Amino acid sequence: MFLERRSIKQLKKELASSPMDTLLTIVIISLFTWVVSKSIHWILFVADWEVITHNIPLYLFGSYPKEQLWRPLSWITILSALTIVTLIGGKKIARKKFLPLIWLSMIPIGIVFIAGGLGIYPVPSRYWGGITLTLLLTIFSAVLSLPIGIILAFGRRSELKFLRFISKTYIDVIRAMPLIAVLFFGQLLIPLFLPVGLEINRVLRAVFAFAIFTGAYVAEDIRGGLQAIPPTQQEAALALGLSSRQTLQIIILPQALMTALPALTNQAIGLLQNTSLMAILGLVELLGISRSLLANPSFIGKYLEVYSWLAIVYWIICTCMALLSRQIEQSLSTSSINNI
Amino acid sequence: MKKRLFGSLLSIAMVCNGCASLEKSRISRLEVIQNRGELICGVSGKIPGFSFLKSDGTYEGLDIDICKAMAAAFLGDPNKVQYRPLTAPERFTALKTGEIDLLSRNTTFNLSRDSIGGNGVSFAPVVFHDGQGLMVKKKSRITKIEQLSNKNICVGSGTTTEQNLNDAFQEKSLNYKPIKYQDLNQVVAGYLQGRCKAMTSDRSQLAAARSGFPQPEEHLILSNVLSKEPLAPASIGGDQKLSDAMRWVVFALFNAEELGISKTNIDVIIKEAKTNTNLMSLRRFLGIDGDLGNKLGLENDFVVKIIKSTGNYGEIYDRHLGPQSNVSIPRGLNQSYLKGGLLISPPMK
Repeated sequence: MFLERRSIKQLKKELASSPMDTLLTIVIISLFTWVVSKSIHWILFVADWEVITHNIPLYLFGSYPKEQLWRPLSWITILSALTIVTLIGGKKIARKKFLPLIWLSMIPIGIVFIAGGLGIYPVPSRYWGGITLTLLLTIFSAVLSLPIGIILAFGRRSELKFLRFISKTYIDVIRAMPLIAVLFFGQLLIPLFLPVGLEINRVLRAVFAFAIFTGAYVAEDIRGGLQAIPPTQQEAALALGLSSRQTLQIIILPQALMTALPALTNQAIGLLQNTSLMAILGLVELLGISRSLLANPSFIGKYLEVYSWLAIVYWIICTCMALLSRQIEQSLSTSSINNI
Repeated sequence: MKKRLFGSLLSIAMVCNGCASLEKSRISRLEVIQNRGELICGVSGKIPGFSFLKSDGTYEGLDIDICKAMAAAFLGDPNKVQYRPLTAPERFTALKTGEIDLLSRNTTFNLSRDSIGGNGVSFAPVVFHDGQGLMVKKKSRITKIEQLSNKNICVGSGTTTEQNLNDAFQEKSLNYKPIKYQDLNQVVAGYLQGRCKAMTSDRSQLAAARSGFPQPEEHLILSNVLSKEPLAPASIGGDQKLSDAMRWVVFALFNAEELGISKTNIDVIIKEAKTNTNLMSLRRFLGIDGDLGNKLGLENDFVVKIIKSTGNYGEIYDRHLGPQSNVSIPRGLNQSYLKGGLLISPPMK
């Protein structure tokens, strides 16, 4: 009872401490209710969700061959199961050594399942689409851009002038270019340079373009992490007799990555959303498939439904990524304390 | 040193391009398609009535049926097609690099695309005569472009559409107030909200947009056509064998409609032609006599295969853009010349 009264008092203090405050609160609350009630009314009674419910397989897998659907399906299922286990399992599971290994193993599993090979019937990339393609693009670009970023970050701090110059130029040039230009370059110009007959897969070209672009930003994030480590640590490590490689590997890099983790998560989420740019370059990822479906005469004009649904899907994926990174951060910080 | 390295890399690349194109000119793309057993067709995948994705993940539309007709003629099977969704900027690159065999993607046939000094592609006959039009609300009682003087007109900015609109009004020395939007969806929204009396775009796009309106029957597409947009399939330039084959596949579709040969009656007509030796031109067309197909590098009965898989041009049109379809566009110019349209096939002999 007391608690309740106190919280009411607290609320009153926060929302209605002066007449002006009260007025603002009322206006904002009524606006908010109006928007929410209108939206709910639209979602429940006006919107025609057939365009979504009819096309769930397309949104998930694109036009992947029907008899092979179990492959992307199981990959996505394992991925989401892993996400749930990691998020719900809490620190106990997160601190287990095998978990990162399982996460890393999802990459080769994904390639084998979706592209085929190793005795599995190959499915060419033109059939990939939907969420599967969005996730593939994001994960592979992210994984590729990390080493690029690390190398560039060290290159920029290197004592060799030439190396420093190259890394700095690379980062500056790429950062001064809009992503769409890099993507256009990858999709339109690279094939012109290649001899006829030699053709790099479109998805692969997109992954490289994303990795090249994101690498420059990742490099700056990691450099930030590196700068957060006091130089005394390196001196101490060298004094202890560790080789410079060991110093990097055990002392500097892990700490730098940990410091850079929030920024890196930011990059990953940005990358996920940037993959939607591929829709204007002819890949049928989540946005591309939606635009193709909107051209279907039975779904013409269902823009609101489709884009609301897209917003929700992207929001869910991004939230999962954010939560996962928070989990990693927490488990890393406690384990490092325990180790000390 | 660096310069020399770059130079040598460049020359290697140029030599490679040279040898590749030499090799290309020796063997026609048509044979490449036939050896591969599959036709790779560049499509848009985002245009109602022309090419769009169905819920089962397959493509459908007029552009798609053209690909199917080509596959039926080249390979004998309309389903041996691989569709590559392409955007407008990448379509000619994809053609040039050989990523696709042919382009069936709402491409306007014009001089700079056809010529060697331009994109250097080779166009098949026009399969859809589009043109810029104007749409108004029926309630406004507007039926002619003259009645739009001093009215607001919604238009996509920075496009040829905007330029054509300006030209058309200037020609008639009429005034108008353009309300400019970034893309077609916004133009449609502006028009529906009543910000302008009329909206303008390609007539096929207007019809497609209208089919998504709450009350499509309350809107009228004016008969005035502001520009010509002849849409045609295309292949890489300098490959006569492939471009000839494509050209005559399209003509075969027109010719079949002229002769009244359709998917439903083709078997009857074949039987008739086989028994009656007096029907010379029909027998040649269907490949019973002569070697029209062989001259193109196709089977002699390629026309039969096309008609059996997609039907004649009129059937294709009605399926996707006819009055029964969701995107209904009056045939207008896309009618056979026998009925006052522009479609005509040169004699097939």
